[in-house]
Amino acid sequence: MTAMMKLASLETKMFFRDRLSVFWTFLFPVLMIWMFGSMFGDSNLNGLSFAEMFVPSWIGVNIVTISFFTLGTVLTNYRETGVLRRYQSTPIRSWMILAAHTFQGSVIFVISALLLMVFGILMYDLTLPVYMGSTLLALLVSILAFFPFALFLTSLAKNSQAAAAISSLCLNVMLFLSGAAFPLEFMPTILQNAAKVLPLYYVVELLRGTWNVGPITDYGLEVGVLLGISVVSTILASRFFRWSDK
Amino acid sequence: MGEVIKADHLVKSYGSIQAVKDISLTVNKGEIFGIIGPNGAGKTTTIEMLEGIRKPDGGELSVLGLTPHKQLRELNKKIGVQFQATAIQKKMKVKEAIDLFASFYPTTQKDHLIDLLGLHEKLGVMFDDLSGGWKQRVTLALATLHKPEILFLDEPSMGLDPHARRELWGLINALKEQGCTIVLTTHYMEEAEKLCDRVAMIYSGQLRALGTPQQLLNQIPAHYLTFDSEELLYDFLISLPSVVSVENENQSYKVLSDDQQTTAYYIFKYCYDNEIPVQDFRFEKGSLDDLFVHFLEKEASA
Repeated sequence: MTAMMKLASLETKMFFRDRLSVFWTFLFPVLMIWMFGSMFGDSNLNGLSFAEMFVPSWIGVNIVTISFFTLGTVLTNYRETGVLRRYQSTPIRSWMILAAHTFQGSVIFVISALLLMVFGILMYDLTLPVYMGSTLLALLVSILAFFPFALFLTSLAKNSQAAAAISSLCLNVMLFLSGAAFPLEFMPTILQNAAKVLPLYYVVELLRGTWNVGPITDYGLEVGVLLGISVVSTILASRFFRWSDK
Repeated sequence: MGEVIKADHLVKSYGSIQAVKDISLTVNKGEIFGIIGPNGAGKTTTIEMLEGIRKPDGGELSVLGLTPHKQLRELNKKIGVQFQATAIQKKMKVKEAIDLFASFYPTTQKDHLIDLLGLHEKLGVMFDDLSGGWKQRVTLALATLHKPEILFLDEPSMGLDPHARRELWGLINALKEQGCTIVLTTHYMEEAEKLCDRVAMIYSGQLRALGTPQQLLNQIPAHYLTFDSEELLYDFLISLPSVVSVENENQSYKVLSDDQQTTAYYIFKYCYDNEIPVQDFRFEKGSLDDLFVHFLEKEASA
């Protein structure tokens, strides 16, 4: 247990030593909100203000970036460079490593979500979530779905370049087609339907809903889909965990 | 001295390639045991079976009384492993790495190792900023923190300059003095000769020789004759009885022979009969390097 916490805190520390990842993870989403806000700040869609629409959805996007880049790509790089192999003949076990990285990702995510929320409150009169408990639960469910999902997908990559390619593809497709960055209402029906195969769609619906509309119990479908993804990808990620590619 | 590793007829294949065909060996407590052979001979596969991370296809294996691949968790508490080409996180500081790995074990000799390996001055440096020799020291420290009963080193001196290599040998000897058994693979024959108590030579997945470096050199004909001559010809020398190989450069010859005395007799007789002058004739004792080449050539001609 101490080994796991030690690894989690070290990985968090090392994340902050890398300026570039700090910028992309924390500041880029804020810049995006600010940019979209300067264009659509006064608009009103389905009875929701700009910030009520997009702060929750960009928090959802942050889950995707952190799970694919901070967790998945980094672990693939560790596999490639022999960092994971070094753990192999020690008493630490693979699930402890995955858990440590999941913990690290969660800490980074909480910071990034708070930043977005505070920015929304200061700049765009965002209010705190109406159903705070539901929103927190929704975030937990989303993390539990996305972290193992990304860890599994990136573990299929032979090296970190391939993992980064998988990650960029997933991020961009979901960013533009799941309603996170652009409202689905503006899109043709076929794309609106296609959005429903993207996991981020359910995260966005769930976060927007619990933030503005109703408690988590109103969103049984979204919670069900995300928990399903969580269970399946946790099984796959631990089943196919590899210490090295050799 | 007890046996800490006992391997009987180990076999391992990858698909249709037999990496290890039939290897039996024992390692005694407290010795430095070297596994040598050319690249692709099966050294790494052999050592990885001993470490328990590869499952043998056949044969019996016991390490510290455990069956490695079945009792891996138990084994991992007692062994230390330095894999080939591994690293730690680039932005991890030396002190952080040592603390992290120390937290995996109930007791460690952390402070002693920092002294022994002279790591004090580097504790605050990130792994990526260390030179190759220092990286090797740090990873050696990580593998030995918990006073392992057996330390496995896969090609420990690969990529080190001669000075760093000698320092590494000193450190390995210091670990041995603490009572640690060390199993290492190498393809530097000098390393095997100077560092190892006993050596196993592996070629194409098979054990070809096993013993102290001295025994190997004595029991196997790897001795040669050297001399200078302007008129002797390669074709004549290679045709002599017992000659294994002939190398020549300008007028200097190096004749590897299974029977130095007989070969020398034929050379002198021929030179006497034909009035050919021979200078600087010497009987040379082969090194492990020569033995290595000797086996490779036998392999190639077989």
